[in-house]
Amino acid sequence: MNSGLGLIVWIIAYPFVSFSLGVLLGGYGRKLTARIQRRVGPSWIQPFYDVVKLMSKKTNVSHGYMHDVAMMMLVGGTLLTMYFVPVPGFHYFSQFGDYIVIMYIMLVPPLGMALGVGQTANPNGSIGIARALQMLAGYEVTFVLTFIGFAMKAGTTSMYDLMMLQQSGGVATWGIVTNPLLGIAALFALQGMMNEKPFEVIVAPHEIATGPMTEMGGKYLGMMFIQHLINLVVELTIYMNLFLGGALNWFEYIVKLFTLFTLVLVVNAVYGRFRTDSALRFFWKLPLPMAALGVIFIMWNGK
Amino acid sequence: MYTQALLFLPLIGFGLSAILMGTARRHQAILKTVALIGFLAIAAAAALAGPEAGSLLQGPTLFGSPLIFGLTDLSWYFVLMVSGITLLTVFFSIGALRDSGSYPMYYAWLFAKVFGMFGVVLARDLLSFFIMWEIMSWATYFVMQQGREEARTAALGYLVYAIVAGMVLLGGVIMLRQSTGSFDFDVISKAIKGYDLATTVVALVLILVPMLIESAVYPVHGWLPDSYASTETSITAYLSSISTRIGVYGVVFFVFVIFGVKVVDSIGFSSHLNLRSILLVLAALTAVLPTYTALFQHDAKRLVTWHSIGQGGYMLLGLATASTLGTAGGLFHIFNHLTYVSLIVFSIAAVEYRTGTTNLNKLGGLITKQPVAFLGMLFGIIGLAGIPPMNGFVSKWFIYRSLILGGYPFIALAAFIATVGTIMSVYKLIHNMFLGQLPERYDNVKEVGFWMQVPILVLMAVVLVTGVCPGLILQWIAKIQTSLGVIPIAYTLGGVASSAGDLNMMVVTSVFGITFLVGALIFLIGGKRRIVSQYDNYAAGHFLSKDVPYNFNYHFYSAFEHIFNSLYQAEPVKTTERNLGRLVRITGDYIRRFFTGQINTYAAYYVAAIIVVLVVLKGVL
Repeated sequence: MNSGLGLIVWIIAYPFVSFSLGVLLGGYGRKLTARIQRRVGPSWIQPFYDVVKLMSKKTNVSHGYMHDVAMMMLVGGTLLTMYFVPVPGFHYFSQFGDYIVIMYIMLVPPLGMALGVGQTANPNGSIGIARALQMLAGYEVTFVLTFIGFAMKAGTTSMYDLMMLQQSGGVATWGIVTNPLLGIAALFALQGMMNEKPFEVIVAPHEIATGPMTEMGGKYLGMMFIQHLINLVVELTIYMNLFLGGALNWFEYIVKLFTLFTLVLVVNAVYGRFRTDSALRFFWKLPLPMAALGVIFIMWNGK
Repeated sequence: MYTQALLFLPLIGFGLSAILMGTARRHQAILKTVALIGFLAIAAAAALAGPEAGSLLQGPTLFGSPLIFGLTDLSWYFVLMVSGITLLTVFFSIGALRDSGSYPMYYAWLFAKVFGMFGVVLARDLLSFFIMWEIMSWATYFVMQQGREEARTAALGYLVYAIVAGMVLLGGVIMLRQSTGSFDFDVISKAIKGYDLATTVVALVLILVPMLIESAVYPVHGWLPDSYASTETSITAYLSSISTRIGVYGVVFFVFVIFGVKVVDSIGFSSHLNLRSILLVLAALTAVLPTYTALFQHDAKRLVTWHSIGQGGYMLLGLATASTLGTAGGLFHIFNHLTYVSLIVFSIAAVEYRTGTTNLNKLGGLITKQPVAFLGMLFGIIGLAGIPPMNGFVSKWFIYRSLILGGYPFIALAAFIATVGTIMSVYKLIHNMFLGQLPERYDNVKEVGFWMQVPILVLMAVVLVTGVCPGLILQWIAKIQTSLGVIPIAYTLGGVASSAGDLNMMVVTSVFGITFLVGALIFLIGGKRRIVSQYDNYAAGHFLSKDVPYNFNYHFYSAFEHIFNSLYQAEPVKTTERNLGRLVRITGDYIRRFFTGQINTYAAYYVAAIIVVLVVLKGVL
């Protein structure tokens, strides 16, 4: 499926597949959270209705060209990342860029958003961005260390190779089984990457309005929603490919995707919000040393 | 033929512009024309000199041995970078120096500096290397003085370090000459292989320390931020992009060519604990600490100069791995850093030219007023932060890959921590200058003129093109690697082919181009947009007006300040430097007591001295 017509079909269809999965995940998330809080919750495809509503708004307020271009960078960058993360049956692009590339192209959407939010000239937005960038030093550093350890052990930085390596021996060769310390540390980092509580200080509703989204309305907010939904899929898939053995068929993929997201959601549902410095201190006290210990184990065994 | 021109043209330029310095006040155009023609000629000679690699030139004889110069693949790489960036700096300065009368020797010292740098990279024997090194250091000192009053004081700080570096290097030169009986690099290189451990260590330290001082490696980086940030802004761009990197040239040249990696590796306890691993740790510290210092700066120039130190750490990280990918990354990063850092500083200079300040707490919202400067800054910071598709990403990718697969996980982590710090501080830079609220006083700011726009546009193109097609530069780097005795990198036009996974920036960029268009399409599907004024904004029900600042730039990273402030205040190098300064001042105060300024006191010293001499002589006789 990685050549010829099949490839072209994949390239065109994949954004839609990914968006639909994102809608289902988002709807599932809202439903699950509602049930935990003893509410009925919205429809399963509520995110889709939201996107349609926002995209068809008549009032679209812009603060300038950078604000517009930012939206294109946001969606474009996320789709770019999506293509480079291997999923069952579609890993064509992983031969041109490894996880280090993915790590960096994942910074394109936040950069675009940061620039756009900057031009909206709202201090709430800028505060949100400043917080987001500071949080990188917490979760992103932890996640990268777990990847470094894993890649060093496997002798490759390609995400597809890492995934196939884990598939070679069933559950026993999954990253989280062979390197439990790294896997658990990365799970904490994943919570931060997905901006779920207790690490949602970036958006922080009611505190700094809605942070980066303060001046976004109409199709601008709609595009941020689209990006958010696709990003859900991409981030969960990255963790899955690195630590849960990836997936070879779509059934396995969807089961793993929803299970992992449930884990993230239940933590999100019961926690409050950490202040930026508390969140950073938390990451540096628990997950980061845990990952460091995991890497030291790998180096120890390697000799 | 062209190699001679590389040494003579700067000298002629220096002479001419020094003679013409009197015209700087009344007839600016004369000096500027001389400089432009001179540096165009130098750039042409540099471009044409490539095929002459390998041939040697004999200069005058000193201490019984002739001064020898010649071009190698490594030195051609540096010659091209020096001549290119100098030309762009001259372009920029033609627009930026409004009253050249304040800078009569600006171009003369620039010529001298180029002469010194060419000399260092072209030197083929130790004596010429040392002489050229000293000329370069002094020229740097004079170039740095171009600017306001504080530039002169700050340049003194550089001078202290440069003199120490020069003295240590002189020690190394004397030692090598004594033990080998020759200044010739080939003879020295062969003789070193036969040294015992102690001699090797002493020789290596004496040679490497000056190079590390010049490349501002932690903990001998203290001279750089003050001296670079206080000069005229076009000089800041020039110095941070190329001047410091001559030190890196020295490290590459002496470690790989003269001493050889094996000799460096043999100093230490094991294959994992030797001089090279110390260099790796120093490089990691250099990448991390200055980057996080940059975070707390309130002056745009100062922020970038701290990064200029930090990026030097990346270069050394790559080079110290001594692997194919690592050295390619280190060498490529020199070029990349040259392009994006000068781009950033030129954009800062363009803003300073119109607003008169580089204070990050006072600027804001200039994106609509100076779009070219904004785009320059944007391309520059994407390069500096190492985000695709700009060139900074490619070299950082090489360095990461070599560190991870080379088995240095924590050094790789340090490199990533530095990247996070870089992203944070560059966003502060672009946000506080170009984004956020536009203060009312900048309502009439305009874009800069032609001469200042050209370097910005050229560098933007270079940063993008070498990021998408890194093979253009990698073909030179593969040649250099061969000459350094490292296995050359298997480059392709879009990146690198490797058994551990390829990198193809052309694919990454074209996919991004298409997905960006998809984003644009979704944007167009939505309804028509309306651009509103910056005062039409959410303010929790309040009304915004021109006289109320509604902006977030003070204490931009407050959580980090909260956590690290105490650490930042007690930074060991700064504390040591401050205490040394205090010691010198106290000693000076005591010594000053002897110099009363009264002739009677001095007469008394003479009498006392004569008595002492007589007593001593009597004792001897």
